[in-house]
Amino acid sequence: MKLSYVIKRVLYSLFVFAVVITLNFFIPRIGVEDPAERYYPPQGNMSEIEYEIVKQLTREQYGFHVSTWQQFLNYLKGLAQGDLGTSFRPGSPKVLDLIKERLPWTLVLSVSTMLIGLIVGVLFGVVAAVKRGRWQDTLLLNASTVMVALPSFFIALVLSFYLGFEWEIFPAYTDSTMVSEFAWTWEGISRVARNAALPVMSMMVGSIISYAQGTRNAVIAVTNEDFVLTARAKGLKRSTIRYKHILRNSLLPIVTSLGMSISGLIGGQVVIEQVFNWNGMGTLFLEANQTNDYPLMMGIMLLLSGFTILSILLTDLVYVLLDPRVTVGDKR
Amino acid sequence: MTKRLLLLVLVGALALPLAGCQTGRGSHRPDPNTLYVGAVQSSFPSAYMPWLSREGIAPTIANMLYSSLFSYDEETDRYLPSIGREWYYVDENGEPILTEDGSIDYARLEEIYSDPQYDYLAVKVIIHQDITWSDGVPLTVEDIYYSFDLATNHALSNHAGALAWTSDLKHKYNNGVLVEKGLFTYERGALEQGYHIDPAEKDYVIYLHVNKVLGAVTPLFTSVLILPKHVWEPVVSRENQLNSSSPSAELLYRYTHPVGCGPWVLDTEQSGSQQIVLHRRQDYHLKKPDGSPLYGVDTIKFILYKEQNVALYALLKGHIDVLDSSVSSNYLLLFAKEKDLFVSNAPGTFTQTLVFNLNPVASERNPLRDLLANREFRKALALAVNQDELIKNVLDGAGVPASAGLMRPSLTDFYNPEADSIVPRDYAQRLALANEILDGIVPDKDKDGYRLLGGERISFKILGTPGEQDVVSFLQIQFKKIGIDVQYAPKGAQPESTYLYTSKFDLVLQGVIFSLSNVDIMYPAHFSTLGRTSNYGRLVNEGLNAAIEEMRYTLNLNRKYELLKEIQPMIAQEFYKVPLYTANVISVARTDRFTGFQVVEGSTVFNSESLQNLRRVEGR
Repeated sequence: MKLSYVIKRVLYSLFVFAVVITLNFFIPRIGVEDPAERYYPPQGNMSEIEYEIVKQLTREQYGFHVSTWQQFLNYLKGLAQGDLGTSFRPGSPKVLDLIKERLPWTLVLSVSTMLIGLIVGVLFGVVAAVKRGRWQDTLLLNASTVMVALPSFFIALVLSFYLGFEWEIFPAYTDSTMVSEFAWTWEGISRVARNAALPVMSMMVGSIISYAQGTRNAVIAVTNEDFVLTARAKGLKRSTIRYKHILRNSLLPIVTSLGMSISGLIGGQVVIEQVFNWNGMGTLFLEANQTNDYPLMMGIMLLLSGFTILSILLTDLVYVLLDPRVTVGDKR
Repeated sequence: MTKRLLLLVLVGALALPLAGCQTGRGSHRPDPNTLYVGAVQSSFPSAYMPWLSREGIAPTIANMLYSSLFSYDEETDRYLPSIGREWYYVDENGEPILTEDGSIDYARLEEIYSDPQYDYLAVKVIIHQDITWSDGVPLTVEDIYYSFDLATNHALSNHAGALAWTSDLKHKYNNGVLVEKGLFTYERGALEQGYHIDPAEKDYVIYLHVNKVLGAVTPLFTSVLILPKHVWEPVVSRENQLNSSSPSAELLYRYTHPVGCGPWVLDTEQSGSQQIVLHRRQDYHLKKPDGSPLYGVDTIKFILYKEQNVALYALLKGHIDVLDSSVSSNYLLLFAKEKDLFVSNAPGTFTQTLVFNLNPVASERNPLRDLLANREFRKALALAVNQDELIKNVLDGAGVPASAGLMRPSLTDFYNPEADSIVPRDYAQRLALANEILDGIVPDKDKDGYRLLGGERISFKILGTPGEQDVVSFLQIQFKKIGIDVQYAPKGAQPESTYLYTSKFDLVLQGVIFSLSNVDIMYPAHFSTLGRTSNYGRLVNEGLNAAIEEMRYTLNLNRKYELLKEIQPMIAQEFYKVPLYTANVISVARTDRFTGFQVVEGSTVFNSESLQNLRRVEGR
């Protein structure tokens, strides 16, 4: 891999991240005369003087009493020290602490779903492509049509009601002590697996089909290439052609999908977390939105943007590894 | 090879979820003395500083861990004992102003305090002598003094809400310096002020000076949760303010390990982001008349549900005993089929109204909104509202019509029926009258309704939440009957700051509660003050303002009640907040383990009265 390419990509990503930081700070303030306005309590029967004191207190409380540029500088200083700010929640917890608390639980669901989706999906996709036009392929195509039409909350509710409440095969929702009593023991891990079963199942159906469909289309496209014909002519084993030649050359679109799903790993699934009482990043962002917790929203957005930029950077670098013909701004 | 590999991967993929199979079907409510309560929230709080607990379940928990001086009984207009045992207005010598039967002598109160030399009312509060904090330290008036003093001193507390609650207390700070003293105890100037306190009672008596408003004591008595001085004083300072945005570790510890004087204590070990466990305090000072504990449940476990359907199913399947959340009337049919369920269809206290933007700021004016400034035009729209139809269609009958004066008819001593006789009751007659009015104001009309002179169709947007879309749909039908078009528009996450206070709306749905306990604050906020209040439409009516002002400042209770009744028709005649209905509060509990749930007006079945009446079902 060319070093200049890597440096260019890294610098470009850093630039985008700097833009994101700036926008993240200024967008909520655009067109707003007094950004603290939304935090003032109702005036009630307070006199104007009393209410002015209250407003000043509120501005000080939330750091709006200094100029916007000073606020931006304070924000950048904080970021440089790894401080994403302080949440408006009771007790004023640090945004980073709240994210640290929720992120591992989101990763439990998203990583499990991604791995299962990737492995099963790619295999299904290959089979469907190889058996093109036969029942395996028809099944995949029909399943993807149905899945596009089915909202994930519906799948989650159905699984929760039947497999959870009615038949009691899995916990219908997360055990309320799973997080507080978690320990790195077999019992603790198995308890998490038990509670994660239905959320993962709800999410993995869509994930499997998405990877399978992508793989199927890529494999079909590659199957007709000349080098496959050559491999067959050389008398190579069918499985070798399928997995060594066809699948490897079909990897680019799969890597793209994977890159995109990596960026979504930490975002969480709001609906799934809601249905199964899962305390993840999705609900954290929802809570921040509902309570207008400005710093928390900014912190989460920054983290998500940073992670997305990082995953795009990694995807681009992997692309080059897989296909050395890929370059930046290729000048012919 | 492919098939074998596929099979292997499939087995592997299924292994994870199968690892999660439940090993047994044990009881979901294993502890027989624990009441399992479901709460539909996005999260549970991790800190329990009472003054900061505003969201979700936090205020409920704060009120169980801490106490205020008194609680208010709306039906009798009386303050019930809590930390406080009794209270009275007192004269300049600290003597109670009471009639022979022990009730407040309002005539004498007015006589004494009409004297302009007094710019305050003096109040004496006597607290119970056997109260202890949950860490065992006795509670004294020093804690009361500390709490009120802290609430007024923004150099230490930096808490806007607390400052608002105590705005009628004549105890003022300026930049951390006490400039007016309005709290007096034995140790803190009572004698100098002329109030005698027996040394034997020095820990239990406090005098307060408040503004000359009869309702001034209400937020002081019922909103300010009292804090333990010995816990907070050592850590709160100018540098480490209560409500600071970067609290010290010591302050944080106190937020997360609350020491209260309420009937319940937090189990910090078992409580977390998805459950809250409270234990009953054995030494709580309030008991039942027979001396037994006030509450019949040893432990309450709150379980978090983020989705209401899941919470309801959890209740139906016996995972929880009660759901602390009101549910839609749509579910009544579902509950009817279930056994062991107690459904509380409690009368509501919350009146849904339709608010007109009748006086927008200059930048938000337009020809359509100018129509709303016309009282007769608003009257025409109000005439088209058919509350009975809304209750039937939107609430499935689970509600009652609301008064145009916005005082609940159930508050018989304060409700004025005159407010509801301003417009005809017969709906056909109302529609005819509405069109008569509109014809006079807007002459351009075609088969689809009224138009402005420029030809623009008269069409207003009604702001509401997604859950209120059905109300708007039925209002759409009703307004169409008089030729006026309305459409739904979403309120957004922060309606107050984005639309309402900035005048960026035509009409909006708003819930209101008016009762004797809050009129001194709510009437000015809804109808007089033009700042950041609930007077979204910026109503200006000098006569109404004067009546509200007089009602607020009169010391003559009878006159106050008279004014309350006079104000109601004045509000109704403005057609500013048009009542739509008062919805019942529907909630549900299981009766297979505990019985005795109580229906309380405006409350879910998980309420203080239920907790006092609950008893175990024998053998379950």
